[in-house]
Amino acid sequence: MLEIINEKISVVTKYDRIKGLVIPLRLHWQGKDFFIKKLAYYHRVRLGRNIQHIFHVTDGNMDFRLRMDSETLHWTLEEITDGTAD
Amino acid sequence: MELPINKNSPMIMHIDLNSCFATVEQQANMHLRGKPLVVAAYATPSGCVVSPSIEAKRYGIKVGMTVRDARLLYKDVIVRTPDPPLVRDVHIKFKKIFKDYSPNVYPRSIDEAIIDFSGMENYLNRTLGEIGKEIKQRLRNEIGEWISCSIGIGTNRFLAKTAASLKKPDGLEVITHNNLRDVYQKLTLIDLCGINKRFEARLNSSGIFTPIEFLDSPLPLLKNQVFQSVVGYYWYLRLRGWEIDDVIYARKSYGQDYALGKPTSDPHELAQIMMKLCEKMGRRLRKAEKAALGIHVACLYRDGTFWHRGRKFQTEMITTWELYRKALYVFNQQPERKIVAKLSISCYDLIPSKKSQISLFDVPQDKERKVSAALDAINDKYGDFVITPALMLGMKDLAIDRIAFGGVKELEDLYEN
Repeated sequence: MLEIINEKISVVTKYDRIKGLVIPLRLHWQGKDFFIKKLAYYHRVRLGRNIQHIFHVTDGNMDFRLRMDSETLHWTLEEITDGTAD
Repeated sequence: MELPINKNSPMIMHIDLNSCFATVEQQANMHLRGKPLVVAAYATPSGCVVSPSIEAKRYGIKVGMTVRDARLLYKDVIVRTPDPPLVRDVHIKFKKIFKDYSPNVYPRSIDEAIIDFSGMENYLNRTLGEIGKEIKQRLRNEIGEWISCSIGIGTNRFLAKTAASLKKPDGLEVITHNNLRDVYQKLTLIDLCGINKRFEARLNSSGIFTPIEFLDSPLPLLKNQVFQSVVGYYWYLRLRGWEIDDVIYARKSYGQDYALGKPTSDPHELAQIMMKLCEKMGRRLRKAEKAALGIHVACLYRDGTFWHRGRKFQTEMITTWELYRKALYVFNQQPERKIVAKLSISCYDLIPSKKSQISLFDVPQDKERKVSAALDAINDKYGDFVITPALMLGMKDLAIDRIAFGGVKELEDLYEN
């Protein structure tokens, strides 16, 4: 099931200098910590001159779509899905 | 004189991402992998399926079905709507990989591309089959482990595409003069790319029922009787592996389509949609530094009927407002007002915008264009539709971002961004 969230969240990240990529490790949402097991896909979206970084990650139970605004450095949890039909 | 089958080494590679929209969605969302999933234009029951996953195809779900029909075939099918930025990103990444192998890469659509290795025979120290295997591996390593593609290799684009469709998903097939007849033997006429039901009926009426019979048909039969045009000659060459489709067409128009989620005949609602389509079209037109002299409006009505009209004007159109005014003028020429299910607007007869003349008498036109340029600059900086005409207020979810089917020209805009 897909759920649109669009809430600001706290994220712990690491920077991988080999891949040249910021990887989310843990996210804090609704009082809970979710430990990221895998970054499934990363891409960028342009909003005018502002670049938004989109991270599709999973903690093994759910998939999360995160957006990091490069101008404000805010993280937003855009949607979650558990892979079941709506 | 009869033309033989092309016996040259196959140097054209066709690459087709399998179930592109659905596979990309599964790549991004690991919990969707291995499950029947469809990407549909709308998630509503009447939404049209644009891409079923490989797993959904096993239940008989096909492109063009409604979500309702897909659920009849598999009730727990997962439905998602397209994510254009995600799919465009995959397209840019795969094109970048292909460019490592040949400077001649031609995207055919968002999920298909041709790599032309012609003239590179002396530089390739391995077979195209080996290169194909490497490309498959690189797509998995560099884009995502769930991404798979079918690759076809042939002496022309047609045979390469045919080869790519022989084994799906994840195939790699080569068609040469040695196996050409064997391949045709296993196919039907409508398996051939470019032959639809109507062409099949036309071929049938001339006694051609199989691809082998099509291949063995003499040129005069194809040219004078079946197709009654030069198209028959093109097919004669194409089927024998000679290249006829390596044509790059110049852009002649800019256009936008919108299939209405809720068909309507309300003039205000349709005017709003027209304004948004004109704004999108105008932004692309102005970015290319073009102006248009003609405008074309087409309506597909809910009852299945169709109306369209194009008009050329003496003054060129550059701004959204100019395009909208002329589009509305053409739109209002409909003989009767019916419920519109799909609206298309395009502008044609393009000229460089720098050549356009400012009217001596129509001073507001100059002001309008300056305002339009300023608005474009603001939207370039802060994002599309940050400033819009008032008519577009409250229509954020209407005429949303989409990827055109087979839109090769649309991809040009993508590479420029």
